Amino acid sequence: MRAADDLLLAALHSAGEALAGRGVRFEAFARLGESLHVQRERDGALERRTSREFGVACRVAGGGRAGFAAASGSGARAGRDAARAALATMRPAPDPLPPRPLLGSSGSALPFRTPDAGRLDALVEDVAGRLAPGHHGLALVQLRGLAGASAAAIATGEGFHALASAGGAVLELLLAPREGPWRHFHFAAAALADLDPAAVAERAREAALLATRGRPPERQLADVILAPAVAAPLVAALAQWLTAAAGPLGAARVARAWRLVDDRPGPAGLLPLPWDGEGLPARRIELIAGGEVRERLATWAEAQGSGGAPGGAVRPSYRHPPHAGPANLVVLPEPALRQEELFARVQRGFYLVVPAGAVRLDAAGGRFELRAAAVAVHDGRAAAAHPLVTVRGSLRRLLGALVATGGDSESFSLACAVTTPSLLLRRLEIA
Amino acid sequence: MERDERSGLAELAAAVARERVAGLVDVYLERRAEAFWRLAGGRIVARETLLREGAAVRRAGVFASSDGLDRPALAALLGITSRALPPFAAPRFPEAPALEEVAAAWPPSWSGVRWRWSWAAVLARRSAVAIARPELAEVTFRDGRRALACWPALPQPELEAPPPAAPTAARPGPTRALLAPAATAVLIHELVGHPLEGDLLRRGDSPWAGRSGERILAAALSVTDDPTRSDLPGGFSADDEGEAAVARPLVAGGVLVGALADRGAAQALGVPPGNARRAGVHAPPRPRMSNLIVAAAAPLSEPPRGDAEIEVVSVSSGTLEPASGAVLLHVRTAFALRGGRRRQRLAPFTLAGTLASLGRGILATAEPAAAAPEPGWCGKDGEAVPTGAIAPWLLLEGVAVR
Repeated sequence: MRAADDLLLAALHSAGEALAGRGVRFEAFARLGESLHVQRERDGALERRTSREFGVACRVAGGGRAGFAAASGSGARAGRDAARAALATMRPAPDPLPPRPLLGSSGSALPFRTPDAGRLDALVEDVAGRLAPGHHGLALVQLRGLAGASAAAIATGEGFHALASAGGAVLELLLAPREGPWRHFHFAAAALADLDPAAVAERAREAALLATRGRPPERQLADVILAPAVAAPLVAALAQWLTAAAGPLGAARVARAWRLVDDRPGPAGLLPLPWDGEGLPARRIELIAGGEVRERLATWAEAQGSGGAPGGAVRPSYRHPPHAGPANLVVLPEPALRQEELFARVQRGFYLVVPAGAVRLDAAGGRFELRAAAVAVHDGRAAAAHPLVTVRGSLRRLLGALVATGGDSESFSLACAVTTPSLLLRRLEIA
Repeated sequence: MERDERSGLAELAAAVARERVAGLVDVYLERRAEAFWRLAGGRIVARETLLREGAAVRRAGVFASSDGLDRPALAALLGITSRALPPFAAPRFPEAPALEEVAAAWPPSWSGVRWRWSWAAVLARRSAVAIARPELAEVTFRDGRRALACWPALPQPELEAPPPAAPTAARPGPTRALLAPAATAVLIHELVGHPLEGDLLRRGDSPWAGRSGERILAAALSVTDDPTRSDLPGGFSADDEGEAAVARPLVAGGVLVGALADRGAAQALGVPPGNARRAGVHAPPRPRMSNLIVAAAAPLSEPPRGDAEIEVVSVSSGTLEPASGAVLLHVRTAFALRGGRRRQRLAPFTLAGTLASLGRGILATAEPAAAAPEPGWCGKDGEAVPTGAIAPWLLLEGVAVR
């Protein structure tokens, strides 16, 4: 942590020196990210990548003008470059910087831990060994392991400064069953040690062989159960859409089964942090609860315009200014049903198990389309397999369609962290 | 390809070679500058600047990258002391141009314009090769789509007629489609470009593996990957392994004749290298497309609207599923045709086919060919590089509306 802190603070100091006395309010943000990446091909060939990203961003405001710039580099020079460039970008605009009294931290920064290359190698080899060719009826096409750690610091010209750090690990598998489409799997955890190779291999193998043969179902409206891996990208899309939606969503019907929170300080979820992208103390933000859309994520400047509350800014990189968006989404299962209880509530429908490709979003039209391997459910029992089922509809409709949640919550590292159980949704369009 | 005598890069390359770093393949240096103008209601409301620099070192089986372009950062990547490296200088970050100098007004549907400049160099085999690339202009629209061109030209995508309140849903099932150049470009990108990338061919994951010399397109189309077209976004003077840019025929008269290869794939496949591209300093080079030039032997003089059921004006993205050979085109703007005329605007839908059905299904081509500003960025394993295309109209069967 010490070396990371020193680097961040040196960069913020150099940015502050370049901006002090220039008659502007300013905020400097620095981020260090280190990641390890191991990719194993089906022939056993290994490719290893290590990367170290470091950059500084500066927001400046004064005299009815504002500007933003970011620069990467080796340390203090990045801070100076970002500061000078930010001054050069100033143009007439309102001051976007939150006032000093609002800034703070909801907790202490965790230690920055450089990812352990040996542990990542061992995990990848362990999972690969469990999926070695032979008796499984499938082949491991590709296995990727990723471990990363980041540290960030923020400082303002009014004397506020704070530190934060985070870490995470991801395993991605591409499996080719003897017949049927290839399947992609994603497992994420806060640390490498939290990924159990035996469980990862077994779950991926079972899911890859679940629906290898079968025809696409007829077009229809049907109840669907989305397994956590299928639900997670849709939950992230829903939160993004709620953040960006123009105007109130008052007319939307919202199911009481939804309880979606952005649990920024944790402890739930994959990525708790002590402050938001602008340095406001992290807080739990209820997005959907009690049959209504509750709070909209907003930066401080947006909150001034809408009358809402700030604290919803994110900053996934130093390269862009903070913007409103979800950080650590959690779908709270209330109540948490067992899988057989979810199935029992489906007369005719589908259980979507393994996502096939990304969720397609039409943000302007508020529509989504997702594809997944699925099992038909008739009278609460698994009936037929379908290698590829397409579900589409409007995100507004999704708000009203949730009737129950499972007790099988899992976490995923997507554009934001998402933790969700299985979701049972009524009458979605099977395309 | 430029050999720069004043930057100290030649001395740097020689010094790196002297150090005999185990398994060293190459060193990559890069600087990028971006300016982004946020627009609202046809006015500039904010300007942002991004300055990036970094280095990457490739050794056998290991790729290491770091932000920072100075001797200590490079020495750390190479595992040597910085004293072993001579001083060197990358070009300074240029001042961003003024948006007002290239356009007097911006449509209200635009939410931003980005300018991008980049400089890169590859050190390998005791020499340094500087890479020149065109400056880019990218327009972001309020609905999230993006279009790409070479600065100072701004992209001119499809005409922006206001969509009707309730577009008609396309009827699912097999159809005969007329593809405008922007849609043809995406189709050929998925049908020909991606499956001919050397890493897929090498692993046997491409449906076109082992098919060189065979007819893969029924029509007498020729497809060339041409990075020497510096007027298109995918242009470069040398690829990201330092190989000189060369126009590479991929399909000639419908027959498969080439492949896209980096050095590794070239050695394995027995084809020339020169198509390695990096999405940035933190991404290793991979065989990628640059600018696809699609030429027809006997195009019709105008698009045959009377022979098609739908006209596809633009496609938001395309997807190739290598294992199954399925190609999906996600159609954003299309019209139902009747009697050779546009009738209703159609709601977004997906056109699906297979490599085989699409290859057989090209019935005719038509002028005028045009540059395709969308989608512009080609993504592969999460890594995006700018690409360009020039393509004609296509009359296509063997596809189905989903």
